[in-house]
Amino acid sequence: MDFDPSANRVVGTARVSGSAPKKAPVPVKIIVAGGFGVGKTTTVGAISEIAPLTTEAEMTSESVGIDDPGQATMKTGTTVAMDFGVLTIDQTLKLYIFGTPGQTRFAFMWDDLVKGALGALVVVDTNRIDDCYPAVDYFERAGLPFVVGINTFNGQLSYSLDEVRWALAVREDVPVISFDARFRGSVRDALLVVLDQALDKAIRMKSS
Amino acid sequence: MTYPDPDEPVPPARPGVRPFLQSGPQHSTGGYTPTGEHPPVEQSTNSLRPFVITSGRTDGGDPDIGMETQVTVVPGAPPSRLSPETRAIVSLCEESPISVAEISARLRLHLGVCRILVGDLRAAGQLDVHVLDNDTPDPETIMRVIRGLRSIS
Repeated sequence: MDFDPSANRVVGTARVSGSAPKKAPVPVKIIVAGGFGVGKTTTVGAISEIAPLTTEAEMTSESVGIDDPGQATMKTGTTVAMDFGVLTIDQTLKLYIFGTPGQTRFAFMWDDLVKGALGALVVVDTNRIDDCYPAVDYFERAGLPFVVGINTFNGQLSYSLDEVRWALAVREDVPVISFDARFRGSVRDALLVVLDQALDKAIRMKSS
Repeated sequence: MTYPDPDEPVPPARPGVRPFLQSGPQHSTGGYTPTGEHPPVEQSTNSLRPFVITSGRTDGGDPDIGMETQVTVVPGAPPSRLSPETRAIVSLCEESPISVAEISARLRLHLGVCRILVGDLRAAGQLDVHVLDNDTPDPETIMRVIRGLRSIS
């Protein structure tokens, strides 16, 4: 039987009945956060080996007149779509990249999402910098290593990295970088910066 | 109990069933309590509907089951009577290890529903759920991810 155990990709047609499943790989995850329309899905899609999948999660949203200024504070169940992608590092290690809406009112979901995450890339559109504040706030509080990545949609920055850093007032050790969500190499480099931060933290945790 | 309109196609939400995550951050601290100390004031029928296939259970079962948690079938598990949804989950897992999030996406099952059903299938001995021992990845694992990422073009 011609069976290649290194083939981690699911073909889907060949289901050998009675065959023991391969050993489960260790999953690791990176969060891609940011406001609506900043390029999270593009980022996920650029690096993922599969077309990004969408899962729907329900969460409480506390809409304090955000969507409807005439409405009093109320809680409603909101279904939010999350895009994610996968990158197989090797047979035993899989990287998941979850794109998540960055609204304060979705923060409940984040506790789940952030648990065990390596780190986060906060995607920023310099035309709407405030959209990323909730994500930055959240990751700072959660103590999750994160990197601010300015998505250069047109290959140009409306503001310099220093200006963005000033506006966000993030700590010195939080990298502020620019990248282009459309290009795999660019997204890869941005994620590598996130992983550097994650590694620093993991080493600090281990030695303490 | 009388409904205002007997022809109403969608029956009103059963009282006492808490819409998923309606209790906010509390959801992670405990299971669903039928007697709920904080009955929701407003019920959204909409948010209940996906949970019909979980028999109304809305609290995500095992908090250790994450979105990226890998699931495999138990080899040689005894055949068991499964609902269409759970059967679909088992057959997805037969192909190769798969994450809860992928199951949810591929079967178009609500993530919360998926998590509950995966927990059920584990309890029924049909699925192995590979919960990691430690939440925080060790430096060696991160190094492997870095090396893996560097090698892609």
